[in-house]
Amino acid sequence: MRTFEYVRPDGVPGALAAHAGDAATAFLAGGTTQLDLMKDGVLEPARLVDISRLPMRGSTTTGAALRVGALTTMEELATDPTVERRLPLVREALLLGASVQLRNMATIGGNLLQRTRCRYFRDPAVPACNKRAPGSGCAAVTGPARMHAILGVSERCIALHASDVAVALVALDAVVEIEGPGGARRVPLTEFYLEAGGRPEVEHTLEHGELITGVEIPLPPEGTRSGYLKVRDRVSYEFALTSAAVALLIEDGVVRDARIGLGGVGSTPWRPRAAEAVLSGAPATPEVFREAADAAVAGAWTVPGTEFKVELARRTLVRQLRTVAEVTR
Amino acid sequence: MSTAEDLPVLGAPVDRVDGPLKVTGQAPYPSDVDLPGQAHAALVQSTIAAGRITDLDTTEAEKAPGVLAVLTHHTVPRLPRGPMTSLGVSPPAPLQDDRIRHHGQHVALVVAESREQATAAARLVRVEYAPADPVLDFDDPRAVSVDDPWGLDSHRGDVDAGLASADVTVDAVYTTPDNTNNPLGLFSTLAAWEGERLTVYDATQWPAMVRETLAEVFGVPEVSVRVLSPFLGGGFGAGLRAWPHVILAVQAARDVGRPVKLVLTRPQMFTSVGHRPKGVQRVRLGATADATLVAIEHHSTSLLAVEDDDYEPFAAGSAVAYACPHVVTADRQVRANVPAPVSMRAPAHAQGNFALESAMDELACALDVDPLELRLRNHADVHPALGLPWSSNALRECYAVGAERFGWSRRPARPRSRRDGHWLVGQGMAGVSYPWYQAPSLARVTVTADGGATVASSGMDIGTGTYTVLTQLCAHLLGLPLEQVRSDLGDSDLPEAPQAGGSGLTSALGSAVADACERLLGALLELVRDDPESPLHGSDPEDVVAAGGGLRRRGDPGRGETYAAILARHGRPQLGADGASTPAQPTELGMALAGAFGAHFAEVRVDEDLGLVRVSRVTTVIDGGRILNEKTARSQVIGGVIGGIGMAVFEDTITDPTTGRIANATFGDYLVPVHADVPDLDVTFVGEPDRASALGVKGVGEVGLVGVAAAIANAVHHATGVRVRSLPITLDALL
Repeated sequence: MRTFEYVRPDGVPGALAAHAGDAATAFLAGGTTQLDLMKDGVLEPARLVDISRLPMRGSTTTGAALRVGALTTMEELATDPTVERRLPLVREALLLGASVQLRNMATIGGNLLQRTRCRYFRDPAVPACNKRAPGSGCAAVTGPARMHAILGVSERCIALHASDVAVALVALDAVVEIEGPGGARRVPLTEFYLEAGGRPEVEHTLEHGELITGVEIPLPPEGTRSGYLKVRDRVSYEFALTSAAVALLIEDGVVRDARIGLGGVGSTPWRPRAAEAVLSGAPATPEVFREAADAAVAGAWTVPGTEFKVELARRTLVRQLRTVAEVTR
Repeated sequence: MSTAEDLPVLGAPVDRVDGPLKVTGQAPYPSDVDLPGQAHAALVQSTIAAGRITDLDTTEAEKAPGVLAVLTHHTVPRLPRGPMTSLGVSPPAPLQDDRIRHHGQHVALVVAESREQATAAARLVRVEYAPADPVLDFDDPRAVSVDDPWGLDSHRGDVDAGLASADVTVDAVYTTPDNTNNPLGLFSTLAAWEGERLTVYDATQWPAMVRETLAEVFGVPEVSVRVLSPFLGGGFGAGLRAWPHVILAVQAARDVGRPVKLVLTRPQMFTSVGHRPKGVQRVRLGATADATLVAIEHHSTSLLAVEDDDYEPFAAGSAVAYACPHVVTADRQVRANVPAPVSMRAPAHAQGNFALESAMDELACALDVDPLELRLRNHADVHPALGLPWSSNALRECYAVGAERFGWSRRPARPRSRRDGHWLVGQGMAGVSYPWYQAPSLARVTVTADGGATVASSGMDIGTGTYTVLTQLCAHLLGLPLEQVRSDLGDSDLPEAPQAGGSGLTSALGSAVADACERLLGALLELVRDDPESPLHGSDPEDVVAAGGGLRRRGDPGRGETYAAILARHGRPQLGADGASTPAQPTELGMALAGAFGAHFAEVRVDEDLGLVRVSRVTTVIDGGRILNEKTARSQVIGGVIGGIGMAVFEDTITDPTTGRIANATFGDYLVPVHADVPDLDVTFVGEPDRASALGVKGVGEVGLVGVAAAIANAVHHATGVRVRSLPITLDALL
């Protein structure tokens, strides 16, 4: 039987020490990704450092930001009063992101670090996976790939980042708080993730042995309207084909501030800044929304199975812009 | 004596008699059963689709903790293929040579002390292959095809002349994907040898067949093999064969001299226990301007494994669905390096009906006639091929009641004419003529000293209510309260019954139980008639009825005695009788044997921009003959409709076109409807007891699924104006 060591240190310093840069060690929080991948034989850590009881749970609102402990569960964050009042896009992304059973287990820090659902990555019997075995190729680019990404990808890897809430958080310029052997640092979530085009096995800037301790979510200006639209075949319990997190501040019919995140399309939670630029200062009209959506998917790289996603992503964004802006004509 | 027709109580919506066991976790499903000293097994499966094994190194696996044995084609003795069954050939015996015929083929079995040890060691088996270029689809020029595999191709009249005479024709190609049965319960086999006696707890829909197969494969008498399947976590046809993993578990138990338990994983369920095969169908219809069908031509091609067979005559049902003078149906199968297909709930008809009933909708549009009206005008008042009257047929009533309940008359004729915000709303319908099927069955009914009765049969309850309806039936026929009747099912040592499949078990087994009850009452009557101490002494049999837990004088219930009293006075602990049923013969009856009929009316909402398809309403009306239990029958039809929704808009087993690997073999990736996808389903039964069945029963296990896909596809067309001829209907096709 494949055995591994399990430790549950007290405190963050103890957790960092137990990890100690050992390449065969992994942190364990909610376990909703880590344990699946171990059962499937994709991950084979020699040691699991259980951080689930460390004091990194709960959220506080301070001035213009909500600070969320990394071990806060998806369900807890979804029902946080500040999230309910000021961050509808975060709440909706959380509620649409997983069943209540999973939301009660999965943590925000773990959610940000969830691994792709690519079935080629998740099956060690498939030899070609640059993410799992660097340099081995990509079986998905020539396979049926309806659930794969079209932005930030290349022939080396088309794996999708499947988080919903991260899509909302990149749109809001959330900041990841990190502690590691070298001390504490803060990284904007938009700079945290790395596109799959270069080295698909490196998905983010977190160094091995570093721990996400929290996330700071800047609150959008009062008057901002926001929401999250998730498009999928089933009504419930499925990853997104496409999704759009949108926050708009509109005054006198003119967009003063636009924040957009796209899901289901990117190797990272996708922030289409070009689309935001189109919207910023422009009238909130369907024509402008369509122009923004065109800009959002510029540079898409598709395979036969993902071609439909370019237009679907456009329409998803237009729909959500119209919904949030209450432009119904 | 009384007969079934006299018993109006049948049909009551009785709760499942096995419900308390199930909801309290006490019903032993196959994977719940454990035996002392059992070992656990895990499969190693091929990672190529075609070729040969060049090296199979089990050294590391054998050294792993807890490992007892590793079975490979080097260790397993040459085993014969199982027997021909009434449903066709048995699968090839496993681990017989180095050849690989499909991705996911079993290449080794690791046996260890624990399941975890076996699973871990299975990953240590090193297999080297010499891969060959696999045949994976219809269009591969190397593929071998089989024309008219079952001799069911049909010709009536002159279809070319019919098409030439038509004012309006439809010519369209429909495709359906592989679907995987995916019962929730993982299939499991627990095998134990005691000398030459073999006991197997197996996830099967057909214990008698598994017994026969194991006896033949392992060279032991059938009487020394016992197969138990008292409960099953679903099957949908996957449990209709003795699959290679069953043979391997039994071989492993023999090898290690201990009971061996093998539970498949969910991904293994996609390659090991069959699937509904993909197909391409071309349908040509011709009609005169008054909407009279003059030609039906239906050709199908479906995919088959290279060294196995499967019964999938997609097109055959189109020969008897409508009154039509000129008909051709033809089926073809193409062999490929894919896992073996198997019957999946309504095999062939689920796919064939989708093509025919979609084409009928297209014809209705071309004729500018209401789709329901088109079906009524071409209704098969007599069996279209035999020209005989149906043994029962309430299809017109299905249409009428369904249309009324659904509100079909308010449906606007033009597509794309109703919307609700950004949702386009459409309505479609389809008709179903499901074929009759029945196999011979035996059953035993025994009254015991406590005054109660037991029904015994090897037939099993796939979860649909067989325990309940047999208990009801026996209770009614013997005049006992339900709680005094017990049914023992799913044990091959009990009188042989056919498979739980083909919508035929209730009629076959129920009729055998009725026959056993009649014989038992006859035997009891023999005892009391000549017994001076019996209050029924000297009674004419015609004057005696079964009631109040015993035999009573008709019209004088005070004069009689209980079964307990009869047995006690005669010093018998019990008295049993064997019953039998045989399928009816249409030529003797002068009737065409009818299966169930049905009509589905579906409403869908399609997001105009995003293409999302949501099924918002389904009304289903079924003629199932006599319904023995309205509650369990309704549940069965509801389950069928949900399966139909899955087939219509979700289910798609995706095979990688170059490797033959199934790319979505998990419940996260293979979509079936979740609760939120299932609207309220309106199910109604109509019709009369069938005249050709002793009980008047027609099975309802499959009819509920058939036609749902077409009704939904037709509703999508009505909503959007877009005709989708390929399942599942997903948003990609509607953008």
